[in-house]
Amino acid sequence: MAGKSGRTISAVPQKSFMKTILSWEGILLVLFIGINIFCKCISPVYNFTNVLREMPKYLTEIFLLFPMAYILLMGEIDISVGSTVCLSATVACLVSNAGLPFGIVLLAGLATGTVCGMINGFLAVKFRELPTMIITLGTQIVFRGIAEIALGDGGSVSLVNADGFRMIAGKVGPFPYLFFVVIICAVIFTVIAEKRVYGRSLYAIGSNSRTAFYSGIKVNKVLFTAYAVLGFLAGVSALFLISATYGANTTTGKGFEMDAIAMAVFGGISTAGGKGKLTGAVIAAFTIVCLRVGLGQINMNAQVILIILGLLLICSVLLPNISSALHKTRKKA
Amino acid sequence: MSEYVLELKGITKIFPGVKALNNVQFQLKPGEVHALMGENGAGKSTFIKVITGVHKAEEGEMYLLGKKVDFRGPRDAQQAGIAAVYQHPTSYPDLTVTENIFMNHEIKKNGMIQWKQMNKEAQEYLDQLDADFKPTVEMGSLSVAQQQMVEIAKAISTHAKIIILDEPTAALTASESEKLYRIVEKLRDEGVSIIFISHRFEDMYRLAERVTVFRDSQYIGTYDVNGITNAELIKHMVGREIKDLFPKPEVRLGEELLRIEDFSRTGYFKNISLKVRAGEIIGLTGLVGAGRTEVMESLCGITRPDEGRIFLEGKEIFIKGPGDAMDNGIVLLPEDRQKTGLILSWGLGRNVTLPIISKLTRKGFIDEKAENELSKKFLEDVDTKAVTIFDAASSLSGGNQQKVVVAKALVQDNMKVIIMDEPTKGVDVGAKAEIYQIMGELAQKGFAIIMISSEMPEILGMCDRIYVMCSGRITGELSRDEATQERILEYAMEKEKREEAAER
Repeated sequence: MAGKSGRTISAVPQKSFMKTILSWEGILLVLFIGINIFCKCISPVYNFTNVLREMPKYLTEIFLLFPMAYILLMGEIDISVGSTVCLSATVACLVSNAGLPFGIVLLAGLATGTVCGMINGFLAVKFRELPTMIITLGTQIVFRGIAEIALGDGGSVSLVNADGFRMIAGKVGPFPYLFFVVIICAVIFTVIAEKRVYGRSLYAIGSNSRTAFYSGIKVNKVLFTAYAVLGFLAGVSALFLISATYGANTTTGKGFEMDAIAMAVFGGISTAGGKGKLTGAVIAAFTIVCLRVGLGQINMNAQVILIILGLLLICSVLLPNISSALHKTRKKA
Repeated sequence: MSEYVLELKGITKIFPGVKALNNVQFQLKPGEVHALMGENGAGKSTFIKVITGVHKAEEGEMYLLGKKVDFRGPRDAQQAGIAAVYQHPTSYPDLTVTENIFMNHEIKKNGMIQWKQMNKEAQEYLDQLDADFKPTVEMGSLSVAQQQMVEIAKAISTHAKIIILDEPTAALTASESEKLYRIVEKLRDEGVSIIFISHRFEDMYRLAERVTVFRDSQYIGTYDVNGITNAELIKHMVGREIKDLFPKPEVRLGEELLRIEDFSRTGYFKNISLKVRAGEIIGLTGLVGAGRTEVMESLCGITRPDEGRIFLEGKEIFIKGPGDAMDNGIVLLPEDRQKTGLILSWGLGRNVTLPIISKLTRKGFIDEKAENELSKKFLEDVDTKAVTIFDAASSLSGGNQQKVVVAKALVQDNMKVIIMDEPTKGVDVGAKAEIYQIMGELAQKGFAIIMISSEMPEILGMCDRIYVMCSGRITGELSRDEATQERILEYAMEKEKREEAAER
């Protein structure tokens, strides 16, 4: 072809051990191990079985992390998931108390979540010029409002028959079912983000959505799907939450969206879009869970734990700057 | 007193892994307009940044009025009377013209900003430049040409003795350029020394007395503009002779490939019909804002036309989105490489494969090895100047970025019609020739090419047929033999002429 100068361009990716360690995911992994050693030191009862036993409380949030990470990767956000969880849990409880079979109860919970997600997705696609922060702030209020109406004056509903839910709260050895579901989701979401066209599209949209659109990527479809999946997993999260609490009330799922966003950001996913890895988010999530469990075991005040997590998050936002500075000095040397 | 206002000797600037400037020299006489030319990536921009104190050179000396200076930052350069006006005005669009002019050197009394006085002085500067707008309007509401005037006013307001203009005419129309020439001449007559960077030879001939050429980070020479021919200059810039800038091959035209009928979109264009045959290069020209890009974006599914039909190889097709257009083999190379052509933060390879990524999968998983090999091949085919396919697109020069965009089109193996929107905008002469070469080869292979361009030479040099648009309508169609600059302009200004006639 034209003007061929015989110049060749290398197509061999360069990998090195130092690069892997200095990456944010590498740092997180070190931090994860560090936190575990720290917890072991401060709490005599911090061991594998105990951590697993206390984990389900927190795992219900980790679900939301994966699709939330997708949405953040596209440079968008969803702050309505907490309300979606609440609404899904409420609907599932009400359907269960109406005496319908357990299969229908599950379906109702999942369907509610999915529909909420689809509403968010539809609005995000239809009004592309509106920030999704505002759209989902609106739906956050609406979804919780509907849930509160459905919950009635008491503001809560308890399961009459919890047999079905007891079933999904079961365990294999020391591992709760929920743990496996979370791990399977983590693997699936990570692989899709890294290896499949959908994942590549997420990064393209987050990096430059105009170019992605011009290059034939169905931006609206990708965006809509991510919101719908987030809604669906909010439904899953709601079901597992009921299995632990046997009911729902007006505060169910409150703050879940912020926890999910915090874990993702801690995991190195930029809210500006296009940057970060799912593996980082997953490691970050488990790091936070382990720290919470450890600090909880020494009876640390819950508010103090929140302050520690907040500080950790701020540090995590600062650290990538330091790590990239490290990269640069290495390059110069 | 030294002969030169500004003299640089033996400047070497090293970026990690590259020598961006290698032992470069430069002399600027008082009150002269000095053109600085060279291909994209030759080191002109880095050189400017060394002068303005943005970059610090590793080696070399800089003398201002014979005195050795050492700038620690842009502020030092500003205080020494050096100001730069960049290609894309780096202004604050939401602030007023006055605020932009006095940014960082506001007139203050007792810590209070003196708005009245600033507005008054801003008006004086604008008057000097014959500006037709008020200093109190918002910067964002001005045209690029007007914004550039503000930047120049800003330079004057800092009492700059040396003004650097970095490709100021790239985004201007002919009449706007003419106005800029007059401003530059006026500044020169007032004793300001001007360094003028441009790819346009007409700019250089019109303004400069001397021209300095850089190539591959090195100083090639300084010449008197009157004593050098176009061909010699190009040879200095490119390092080889370009025998034929427009290598238009003789192609036997094939069947009609694409035809659009009665394309209309309210507010943008009306009743557009055109056709292109296999092996044919058609030009779509007219003044900026005539609706050329909008027509092609509607054809490619970026926007939806209100009316209109598209026929590909005689069969009607329906395009609902960019993906549909690509599936049908209609590929668009957008005008704005940075905003719609490339993902700048991504590596070159991923940029190239983005449109076809769904085809590079095995069982749904992206085959990265195949992907890397493929992008390597296509990037090498268009002769991209890069080290690895993982280099960020943002690290390339304009011409090389355009080659990546071309590679991104070529990689689509079902391509039949290729639409190039201003394919050589901001591209240096060497890369231009290569892009024309690629266009010629594509035509030979039987692709249909539609080129949108405002540059008369390339329209006349490359196209078999030319459609001229004016105010959203096609006002003329010319064959290669019929086309002349005058006739094209006549059609391009059709409407204004009619309006003038009506006024009489």
